[in-house]
Amino acid sequence: MKNLSRFGALALIILAVWLYARSVRVPQGQNEKVLVTTSEVQIKGFDPAQIDDLYSSREATRVYEGLLTYHYLKRPHELVPNLAVSLPTVSEDGCVYTFTLREGVKFHDNACFPSGQGRELTAEDFVYAIKRVADPKVRSSWFSVVAGKIKGLDAWRDKYTDTAHTDYSEAVEGLKALDRYSLQFTLTQPWPQFLYILAMNFCCVVPQEAVQYYGEEFLNHPVGTGPFTMEAFNPQLNKLVYHKNPTFRDKRFPSEASEGYQHLLADAGKKLPLVDKIITHILPEEQPRWLKFQQGAIDIADIASDNIALEVIKGNTIVPQLQEKGVQLCLEQAPMTSFFAINNDCEPFKNNAKLRQALSLAFDGQRYNELFFNGSAVSAQSIIPPGLSGYQRDYVNPYKQYDLAKAKQQLAAAGYPEGKGLPVITLDVRANTKQKQEGEFFKKCMEGIGVKIRVVPNIFPELLKKMSQRKTMMHAISWGADYPDAENFLQLFYKSHQSMSAGLNFNDAAYNALYERATNMQPSEERTILYEQLNRMLAECAPVVYSIHQAHPVLYHGWVKNYLWSNYCGGLEQYINIDLDQKKALQARF
Amino acid sequence: MSIYHYTVRRLFYAIPILIGVTLVIFILFNVVAGDPTLTLLGRYATLQQMAELRHELGLDKPLLLQYLDTLRSTFTLQFGRSWSTNQPISQMIQVGAYASLTLSVPAFVLASLLSIAMALLAAFFRDTLLDRSLVVISVIMMSVSVLAYILFGQWVFAYKLGWFEIAGYEYGFPYFIPYIILPAMIWIVLSIGPDVRFYRTIILDEVHQDYVRTARAKGLANRTILFKHVLKNAMIPIITNLVTQIPSLILGALLIESFFGIPGLGNITLQAINNSDFPVIKAMTILSSMLYIIFNVITDILYTLVDPRIKLN
Repeated sequence: MKNLSRFGALALIILAVWLYARSVRVPQGQNEKVLVTTSEVQIKGFDPAQIDDLYSSREATRVYEGLLTYHYLKRPHELVPNLAVSLPTVSEDGCVYTFTLREGVKFHDNACFPSGQGRELTAEDFVYAIKRVADPKVRSSWFSVVAGKIKGLDAWRDKYTDTAHTDYSEAVEGLKALDRYSLQFTLTQPWPQFLYILAMNFCCVVPQEAVQYYGEEFLNHPVGTGPFTMEAFNPQLNKLVYHKNPTFRDKRFPSEASEGYQHLLADAGKKLPLVDKIITHILPEEQPRWLKFQQGAIDIADIASDNIALEVIKGNTIVPQLQEKGVQLCLEQAPMTSFFAINNDCEPFKNNAKLRQALSLAFDGQRYNELFFNGSAVSAQSIIPPGLSGYQRDYVNPYKQYDLAKAKQQLAAAGYPEGKGLPVITLDVRANTKQKQEGEFFKKCMEGIGVKIRVVPNIFPELLKKMSQRKTMMHAISWGADYPDAENFLQLFYKSHQSMSAGLNFNDAAYNALYERATNMQPSEERTILYEQLNRMLAECAPVVYSIHQAHPVLYHGWVKNYLWSNYCGGLEQYINIDLDQKKALQARF
Repeated sequence: MSIYHYTVRRLFYAIPILIGVTLVIFILFNVVAGDPTLTLLGRYATLQQMAELRHELGLDKPLLLQYLDTLRSTFTLQFGRSWSTNQPISQMIQVGAYASLTLSVPAFVLASLLSIAMALLAAFFRDTLLDRSLVVISVIMMSVSVLAYILFGQWVFAYKLGWFEIAGYEYGFPYFIPYIILPAMIWIVLSIGPDVRFYRTIILDEVHQDYVRTARAKGLANRTILFKHVLKNAMIPIITNLVTQIPSLILGALLIESFFGIPGLGNITLQAINNSDFPVIKAMTILSSMLYIIFNVITDILYTLVDPRIKLN
């Protein structure tokens, strides 16, 4: 009896602890509109000059802003002014860009400012931010994007390469604040992609006070002008919390949309941002992310790299079980191309286009698409993905057709009949299940023509190291665009033996000359024709085996309004709204 | 020999161990691991920038000098800042240790109490159905992979039944409590299997000793024999097992932390490996070695307290 009562007491204690645990909740405001998202990768920080990965950039653009951005609801993507009043005036020679900044824009309130209150943004802040990218002490890899392009910037950088201190007050000829709100860039030569570059995250404005105040830890203390604020970022915590910026300028929800996106105009004209708070949970594993989404604890689930996408998306729509719960699918074409890269500078591939063509012909792209993407991806015929000028829907790459007989012919012409005499080719992939499976699939395809492949899994830094040291023979890789210009992809083949890029080590004089001509032209029909010509040249050289252009699936709950995924447009969350009544109603179905 | 002298002597012995550990980790990082400059600089990195960064991080120095730097930071405990987050590593360890300990301490205490209680029960009722059942359950618990427990627990108890949080973590008491219950339960289930079998074997060894027979002959109650005599005499291996587990409580559990999104030291280590963040990898490795050394010394000292026959010399 005594023992029984002891067990009873123990059971009661356990029950009490469990009930208490269920009742414990972080306090949250009533009727507060909270958007809950996830990231599968740790966020590296918030310094625009230093972050370069997709996940960190997505977080940073909630806080930081640049001169330009992309229209939220227009496709193809269209540049619009953000902190600038309008698009810049450009000189006749295409070298001088003059911007006028919005007046009254304030940095977030922060301890880095003398009064704790954010001061007004001025043109000098942009001069400082761009100089920071060039400052050798900041170690921004983004400098390579603007290197040699802005007058005097390279010389300014070189001057401070070996000094202990960088003098930001020293003028740079091509980077001037004409007055408090006027900013002028002078380029060394016309650069058609310049405005796209200014819309990239690394050109976002940062206040000098914050950089100096936080020193080495500036990347963990975001202070911008954006729609959301963050008190401090601790990379160790798996949770990021943003609050609506109380001093955010009067920015409104767009009132125009391209065809097919008109239904997203319900909040047209409303002041942004539309939610009070954003919470991002860092959850590296797929199962908890997916379960939390199904539970309704996460509003938006980006499942582009998740295996679950194969289970829940059939024929470009979501399965009925999710539809019943009111889950919506946003399936936009990602500006991304996946391919099996070839180290064109290594034997046996060097100067052997026929061998490379043989591999391309032996790859069964259709089966690959069905197996790994439920057939939802677009077979890549060239490096340029859909949505960019230079992409031709009907273009057929003569060496991207699954044709074993022709592949064998090319292999024999390359000097390796039936693969005889050809060494085992290593294919380096990332050490995750999907990439290993994709590698094995490629291996199986190549067995069809007698080419032996050995799949080598690597952790990502190891793969990068091998690529930089040119130690791979082949490697699987995807390349995504930073801005909507095919130049972003075509540059992978331009004198790539001189840079790290995608590890292709490709160098073709004819290609280089045509590339230089095309990419120095403003967007035009003539330039598109040259881009197409570059594509055809690449098809003949076959420096990579193209696989697919993937769509980017994102699931969101019915209570999430105005959601539209974009690869380029930063700070998407400012446009998103939450319908609290609908949330209650839909959650009742779970 | 006094405890003080013994401790100093044992810590002195730790020096070659630490040198060995740093050497192994240094060789692994320099031979096997990826190039950190690429991870740190991103996809637009130029070869020149990579060379500059290598210089700044001291990676272009002769290997011997680099190793001496590693040794210096080991013995001064100045690990500097993380290459990927720029945070002081000591601060990272502090924050991570808090999260790891909030999960591991309650799980460890409960798992240890339950294991000892179950082992005593099995030994007390040895060769009965209860004993056999406990042994079989322990073997089954040991045989199932940690991943299976996690996936099943999250799916059934957290998602389907809604009893617990699926994943996540909140800093500060009491907000972390809902997030640690399910992972702590999994931790307990994982520990109980091997612990019960181990403790049962130890206790059974003691149960067959002469003094137990004597106690029984004197008419002492079974419970008194078990708790007052058997348990006390079985304490040395139990202490060894318990104390040597303590470093792993601080260092966290990689898989559990990763699946439950708990920002503990296990998570930090995993991220550091993925980012080739050598200073953090180095700090975590050295920290774990030191903890194991320190807790081994503590185990030895505890032996003398439990059993006065044991002398430190």
